[in-house]
Amino acid sequence: MKIDVLGAGVWARNLTGVSALQALLTGTPANPQIAFEAPRPEAIAARERRRAGLMINLAVTVAHEACERSELPVAQPGSVFTSAMGDTAITDYMCRKLAAPEKLLSPTKFHNSVHNAPSGYWTISAGNRAPSSFVGGFRESFGAGLLEAASQALAAQEPILLVASDIACETPFDSIEPVRESLGLAIVLAPAGWRAQGPVLTRATLTFAATERPDAQAPQHPWLAALAEANPSGAGLALLERLYTQEQAPADSTESVRTPQRAPLKIKAAPEAQLTVEFEAVP
Amino acid sequence: MSIYIQHYTLTSALGIGLDAMRAALHSGSSGLRAEPWPDCDVPCYLGRIDALDQLVEALPAERRSRNNALVRLELDQDDLRPAVAEAVARYGSDRVGLVMGTSTSSIDRTEAAYRELDADGAFEPRFRQPHTHNPHAPGDFAAAELQLRGPRLTVSAACASSAKVFATAQRWLSQGLVDAVVVGGADTLCLSVIYGFHSLQLVSPEPCRPFAPDRNGISLGEAAGFALLTRDRGHSSLALLGAGESCDAHHMSSAHPEGLGARLSMERALASAGLTMAQIDYVNLHGTGTRANDETEGKVCGELFGPSTVASATKGWTGHTLGAAGIVECVLCLEALRSGVLPGTRNTVAAEAPFELLLENTQREITTALSNSFGFGGNNCSVVFAAQ
Repeated sequence: MKIDVLGAGVWARNLTGVSALQALLTGTPANPQIAFEAPRPEAIAARERRRAGLMINLAVTVAHEACERSELPVAQPGSVFTSAMGDTAITDYMCRKLAAPEKLLSPTKFHNSVHNAPSGYWTISAGNRAPSSFVGGFRESFGAGLLEAASQALAAQEPILLVASDIACETPFDSIEPVRESLGLAIVLAPAGWRAQGPVLTRATLTFAATERPDAQAPQHPWLAALAEANPSGAGLALLERLYTQEQAPADSTESVRTPQRAPLKIKAAPEAQLTVEFEAVP
Repeated sequence: MSIYIQHYTLTSALGIGLDAMRAALHSGSSGLRAEPWPDCDVPCYLGRIDALDQLVEALPAERRSRNNALVRLELDQDDLRPAVAEAVARYGSDRVGLVMGTSTSSIDRTEAAYRELDADGAFEPRFRQPHTHNPHAPGDFAAAELQLRGPRLTVSAACASSAKVFATAQRWLSQGLVDAVVVGGADTLCLSVIYGFHSLQLVSPEPCRPFAPDRNGISLGEAAGFALLTRDRGHSSLALLGAGESCDAHHMSSAHPEGLGARLSMERALASAGLTMAQIDYVNLHGTGTRANDETEGKVCGELFGPSTVASATKGWTGHTLGAAGIVECVLCLEALRSGVLPGTRNTVAAEAPFELLLENTQREITTALSNSFGFGGNNCSVVFAAQ
């Protein structure tokens, strides 16, 4: 599957947007003491914003940034949302209330409990009526989502927004699947050559292969690697790192070359399957 | 490109497997009953599968949940496993994909775990099941049970989930990513959905009656179904012609008042199938039985339907099975195409709809059918099938 990546968005600790990612990648040190800053997406109307929790705010924030950086109208792309654990804060609310004698649920929390809630808030905030989905792949959610998003882009011959997010979990979820950092990231991808004008970060070929021992590459930057270790959606950070790393120009050259590192990237797409992403320059 | 349905199966309150379902439809027995749900005081009718109560403990410890018990029960029906094994033998296990739809996933198990948290507030050891307490649980489990190694994922888009699996499968097959796809859906009854819809005042104290002038809400149900899809026609006479997906971009739990998303979903499905609405013989409506949903869907269908299009809403038979509603109603469309018997709108005595709504089971040969599934988040999907 041959695609172009048009732009991206990201939000995590020390990583409040792609500019922060670029700063990190060009040497600005990450401050491990800094607290997580909750995103407040202005794009969500006041009425909806009151009802949205962190999971929704994270996903909607990175979705808007990715569209903006792709110079794409927010109402245009179809979207695929993905998460390993879904909104564990809402799951915790629901299950605690239902374990109590009265079992009184807030109707708003209930409708936010569907796994496609971030997709719903995104489409409402963007006035976007294109197809939108949530796909789960547990620990391999990012790879599964990337495959589905690329497939949708090729089928529709339109750009597709992929959004991956997981939030730091508390007790009791930490006893089964500890997610220690909150993180959202998004990329916009389109069929290769879809765009005649406007930003294209890279061209890439995706290949799915079943394999006994899938290879998943961690980001090289230590802070990104730490985030990827602490959050399953962070599997996408290795891709974002490639997208925004300026290749070192040869010593005798006077200009830097604006293409990502060329070595193929391997992402797990199932417990026994990997997606290989092979990059090429955009002509 | 046409995609062919090689095999399908369904388990719902109408019965375990297709034969039981056919017998219930033929005899007019709805699956809805007023029996109380454990620890629940919401007055309601439920489409419940009693056999599940006994099946949870038989699962491997890591997979135990009511929803996974339903997945396994349904995988064992109608020779689905041998049919999938044949596809694996023909194409290779890495060339057979799996796309599952669910809304509840195994939240039933998470609810149970929260009723027995330990002194530190953590899950008791028997509930420490990472592969079960997450949205992908049914797809993960079904792929493991069928020993598939192709692409797999679980679509969770509320009540549109297991209609959207057909759209994904069609793309994967058309692009040659795989040679066969097992699509399915599974949702089980649990306190989250009963009290959740109760909090929205949408649960009827009576059996639901879609499109009746005095309808007053939904009846919930549980169900699972699977279908095996291929590019190769083989001996199949049933085809998936197309699917359409859309969003309302309006509200999380109320449909767009003009049904804009519903209209887009049907129009995109028709465009994908290369048909016009006048060429659709039968529509299985989303038809939940709430005042607002049926009014909106009815209005759009009244504007779109051709002169010979007939429709029915079948949630009075099965209950609203949420994330499984798509696969339930797609299988009912396939059954109608195969048998020439269109299911009636169970429990509805007089219809309030601007098109021909079938109240009784009706003998009529059809060649095309469309199924609508609309969900929270304003998520919509329509799927078109044909007999060829």
